[in-house]
Amino acid sequence: MSPGQIRFFALVRRECNRFMKIKRQTLGAPLLETFLYITVFGAALGSRIKELHGVEYVVFIIPGLIMMSWATNAFSNNSSSILQQKFQGAIQDQLSSPASPAELLMGFSLGGFLRGMTVSTITFLVAFVLVDLPVENPLVLVAGIFLVGFFFSQLGVLVGVRAEQFDDVAFYQTFVLTPLIFLGGVFYSVTLLPEPWQTISHFNPVYYMINVVRYGFIGYSEANVALSLVFLAVATALLTANNLRLFRRGYRLRA
Amino acid sequence: MPPALEITDLRKQYPTGTEALKGVSLTIQPGEFFGLLGPNGAGKSTLIHCTTGLAQPTGGEIAIFGHDAVHNYRDARIAVGLAPQELNLDWFLTAAETLDYHGAYFGMPKRDRKERVDELLETFSLTEKAGDRTRTLSGGMKRRLILARAVMHRPKLLILDEPTAGVDVELRLELWHYVQKVNAEGTTILLTTHYLEEAEQLCNQIAFINHGEIVAQGTSTELSSRYGVDSLEDAYLALVGREELSRAHIAEGEEEGAA
Repeated sequence: MSPGQIRFFALVRRECNRFMKIKRQTLGAPLLETFLYITVFGAALGSRIKELHGVEYVVFIIPGLIMMSWATNAFSNNSSSILQQKFQGAIQDQLSSPASPAELLMGFSLGGFLRGMTVSTITFLVAFVLVDLPVENPLVLVAGIFLVGFFFSQLGVLVGVRAEQFDDVAFYQTFVLTPLIFLGGVFYSVTLLPEPWQTISHFNPVYYMINVVRYGFIGYSEANVALSLVFLAVATALLTANNLRLFRRGYRLRA
Repeated sequence: MPPALEITDLRKQYPTGTEALKGVSLTIQPGEFFGLLGPNGAGKSTLIHCTTGLAQPTGGEIAIFGHDAVHNYRDARIAVGLAPQELNLDWFLTAAETLDYHGAYFGMPKRDRKERVDELLETFSLTEKAGDRTRTLSGGMKRRLILARAVMHRPKLLILDEPTAGVDVELRLELWHYVQKVNAEGTTILLTTHYLEEAEQLCNQIAFINHGEIVAQGTSTELSSRYGVDSLEDAYLALVGREELSRAHIAEGEEEGAA
C-alpha cells in the first residue's frame, strides 16, 4: 500500500474502531430500536392495516426503517465523533498529519456510513428471513440507499464541524432530522394523508429518499423514482463539495 | 542543507481581531536545540500551530527543511513531530493504538509501525499499559505517551510545546534525557517552556517572544549580556518588565533591610 492508502485506511479504521468500542450504544441500541418499531408498528398496527398498496403493512414499513437506520446512524456517528475529537483536542493528530482535506473528509465520512450500513444490513437480513422481504429492483435499491447513507454521512460531518457544543448536535438530530424522517412516510403512505399535509410532505426531501428505497424493495413508489435519484445524487454531490470547501478552509477545525 | 525551520514575516490575526503574531522571522538550523521563551499569550503556541497546520497564517512564510508549510504541507508535515501543551489524547484508543494510528497517518507501513510502537512503549516505560485506554493513564503516562506519539514517525524537527508542564522531577529529567538523546542523534528541536533552567540546560539557541514579536535571540549568555544581567532568568524578567522579581534584587533588598 502507498503512504496515502495507509493514511486513508487509518482514518477510516479510527472511526470504525470508535464505534466498535462502544457497540452496545452504536450498534446494539439502534438495532433494538428498529426491531421495536417493527414489533410495535408492524404487529400492533399490522393486525388492523392488513395491506398497503398490495403488500403487508409490516413489509411496507421495513424499507423506510432500514433507510432510517442508515441515515440516523451515519448522521449521529459522524457529528458526535468529530465534535468529541474537537473537544478532546485529539483531532489535532489527524489535522497535523500530511492528510489532505479530501482524505480527512472521506475518513470522517465513511465511519458513519459503515456504521449505518452495518445496522441496516443486519436489519435487512433479519427482515428478509422473518417477513419474506422482497427485493424487486436491486440496482435502484443499492444506488438509492448508498446515496442516502452517504448524504447523511456528509450531513453529520457538516454538523460535527459546525457544532461547538453537544447541544448543537442534539438540536439537529431531535428538531430537524427526526421530524423530517417520521413525516417523510416511514410508517404510512403519504397518499393516505388529508390535504394540505399530502402537499406539504412533497416538500420534505426525506419523502423522496424513502420512496426510492421502498421502490427498490417492494417495487412501489409514490414519487418519480428516476427524478428522485437524480435529485438525491445532486444534493449529495453539492453537500460533499460544500464540506470539502470547508475542510480546505479549515473552517472551525484549524484556527 | 536548508534550515530546519525558516519563518519569514509570519503574521496571524484571529477572527476576533487579536493579532497573535506581528511579523515573526526566525531561522533554526538543522541539529539545533532551540528554545522559544515568552510569557503566556506571547504567541508561542500560535507560532507552533501555524508551523504544524493547526492554525492558518494570515501572512508570511514557513519553510520546514525547505518545504513550504502551506503550499507543500505534505512534505513539510512529514518532517515535523508535535508534542502539544494539552494532553490531547484520543479517549477511545489504547496507548499502543495511539502510536499505531499516528504512524499510519504519516504513511508508515504496518511492520515498521509494529516495531516502532514496541520500541517506544519500552523506551517510555508504557509496555504494561499498551492495551489500556488513554483516559485511564496517569498524567505522567499521558505526557510520556504524547512525546512518544510525537517521535513515532521519526520526524527531523521535533516541536515540544511546554512538554514538562506539571510533571514531577523524575519525569522531567527522564524527558530531558530522551530529548537530549534524539537531538544528539540529529533531530532538530524547538522547545517552548516556562522553566528557564530547562532552556538553559537544553538549548543552544534561545529566542524571546513577546506580544507576537521576536524581541531577542542568542545563546543564554548572549541574552544575559544583552539585557545587562547575570542570568537568563533576569534577562527574561527584564523582557517582561518585572525586574523587581529578580532573585538578586530581592536578596539585595533583604540585605538592606537586615542592615
